[in-house]
Amino acid sequence: MCFPSLLALLVLLPSLAQAKLPADKIEPPAAWSDGFGLRYTIERIEVRGNRKTRTDLILREVALSPGDTVTADDTRVERARLRLLALGYFLDARLSMIKGERRGGAVLIIEVEERGTIILNAIHLGTSQATTLWGGLDVSERNLLGRGLSLGAGFVSSTRPKVDGAEPALAFSLRMAGPPRLHGLLLSGSALFSRGSEFFRVRGPAAEPDPAEFVAVNVRRAGGVVGVGTVLSRTAYLWGEGRFETVRAELPTLRVRDLGQGESQPIAFLVRQGSSRLGSIALTLDLDSRSDPVLPRAGRHLVVSVEAATPACASQYTFVKATAQGSLYFPLPVGHVIGVHGLLGGLVGDAPYFDRFFVGDLNLLLPPRAFGINFSTQPSRNFLGTGVADHRYDKLAGRLLAEYAVPLWRRHGLFYRGDAFAALGVFALSNPDDLRRGGASLGQRLPADLTADLGLRLDTYIGIFTLSVANALGRLPL
Amino acid sequence: MWFPARLAALTTLAVAATQAMPVFAQEPEERKIGIDRRDGRLFVSLGLQDLLRAQDAQRLLSGFTSRVLVRVAVVRPDSPEPVAQTIRHTEIVYDLWDEKFRVRRFEAGGKVETREASTASEAIDLATALVAFPVVSLDRLEPGVAYRLNVRADLNPISQELLADVRRWLARPSARGRMGSGDSFFGSFVSIFVNPRIDESERQLRLVSQSWVEPTR
Repeated sequence: MCFPSLLALLVLLPSLAQAKLPADKIEPPAAWSDGFGLRYTIERIEVRGNRKTRTDLILREVALSPGDTVTADDTRVERARLRLLALGYFLDARLSMIKGERRGGAVLIIEVEERGTIILNAIHLGTSQATTLWGGLDVSERNLLGRGLSLGAGFVSSTRPKVDGAEPALAFSLRMAGPPRLHGLLLSGSALFSRGSEFFRVRGPAAEPDPAEFVAVNVRRAGGVVGVGTVLSRTAYLWGEGRFETVRAELPTLRVRDLGQGESQPIAFLVRQGSSRLGSIALTLDLDSRSDPVLPRAGRHLVVSVEAATPACASQYTFVKATAQGSLYFPLPVGHVIGVHGLLGGLVGDAPYFDRFFVGDLNLLLPPRAFGINFSTQPSRNFLGTGVADHRYDKLAGRLLAEYAVPLWRRHGLFYRGDAFAALGVFALSNPDDLRRGGASLGQRLPADLTADLGLRLDTYIGIFTLSVANALGRLPL
Repeated sequence: MWFPARLAALTTLAVAATQAMPVFAQEPEERKIGIDRRDGRLFVSLGLQDLLRAQDAQRLLSGFTSRVLVRVAVVRPDSPEPVAQTIRHTEIVYDLWDEKFRVRRFEAGGKVETREASTASEAIDLATALVAFPVVSLDRLEPGVAYRLNVRADLNPISQELLADVRRWLARPSARGRMGSGDSFFGSFVSIFVNPRIDESERQLRLVSQSWVEPTR
């Protein structure tokens, strides 16, 4: 379908790749010297250039105080500078000293150049056979009132889906987090509201996305999450979260699917009729040794999370959901990178549909959800000829994806870095009942499909962007 | 169907072409070097003063160490593997109380040289001017073969370990580390944006020399 664009990108890739010169491969010295043994006692600290960011926030990151002794070669100074830059509030940060009042004394000067801290997290925009148009934005202010607080807000809205009984989608999310700290706890909280429809097939073959063959369940969700995180080590983070929300669902009057030839079966809407409550606690362990969070060249990343919804959390849904996601990156001699990404997930209990594994989250070629709302009736493309087209929300999920990335450029204005990438993978979506189904083929018991992507990943001043074929396909009714 | 496909192709081409231009502009500059052969070694002379700009002279007065790392590789134009390679790194510190620059140069083979400079430009020259800099034993160069130098100079390079730490600080995980953006009902909490100043070094020069043919000995 988009072969011309794939071809164009593949032809251009070799010419775009930045040549690595022999001098780049020479290892720098393992250690530096002692800075001539020059030592100074800090008499006082001056912070300059911070019109918005509070001085105490800057001093906390620098972690040096009057009375401390620093050497000319002090590694704390370079770390402090990089920590200030890593906050994301400054375009530049410099530490310098001037003579103090007594010999051997110095005044430490911290100069910062502030930058805009409003970040575009996501643009939700798309069209599908079921929904003519949906759109929305998600933005964050990362340095609210100069205190390092993050405040994020997002919304999405859609036209009325062409599914019987469906209502236009509308969702808002508001998020807040405490200032980032290297040590200690990070607190966060989110509030949310969403109103939208999920679509369930009532007739027709599984591969047919015609909205006329679906009915809608209208669902309203309102609630929030509070979380607390801590750094366990240089590469390990632990997060705990509590979540509570109210769910109000209106089920359609037609609750049976016509299978043809006089056969029918009740539809599992996977949400309680009327009002219900959902409460859960979750624990997430994040082990991250990647060389870079955006465009990694080496290292590993493993995220394991377990979420439990129980009556003890005032929940009327009882389930346990476990997900493990891992990525391995292998640098190649020419500077290219192979990434292998795996995902395994399992769910036990009666989770609502929106907490189950969704095919659009596994298959890059399908429209993604926005704030938990699905806008499409498009099934997976079923390249492997399995029963995957009939699976949308399920309890078991797995995906293995291999990605080849080619660094294209670095340091160029707004587009700071860029990688071209091509990915190919396979995913499966099933449930214990289907897995145990006697007499069924492997493709019916374990429905699987291919997924793929090809595009550019851009690291820019205002966020990380992915321009890809799958992104385009997912947003167009193709 | 044909229209979106063509549109996608044109968009891809346009994006690729736009981005290709700066990539080509990034090719290392060719710079003329002086060559000398004596005592069985090849010496080169080369100026890299443009690694530091006018404002850097002021920054040298910070009281903290500034570093210049120069990596040199001798290559044959027909091979990506260097015939020889060497480095020189220089540290410059301004002594706040004695009001003078202290400069220390480290070369391959353990040679260390300490100097003093009274002005910033003198200190910069000591760090960035390669004068009769030994790069390779003549035994390793084949007479009649063309060679060139490949040079990279970094101002204040950052260790890989520290760089990795910084990247991890940037990557503090989001509050809901679950399945990709599609599942983000609560949104991605911690946006990442990388400061371009956080790189392997504050500034970098990459260049190649003119090629020369090694004479018969």
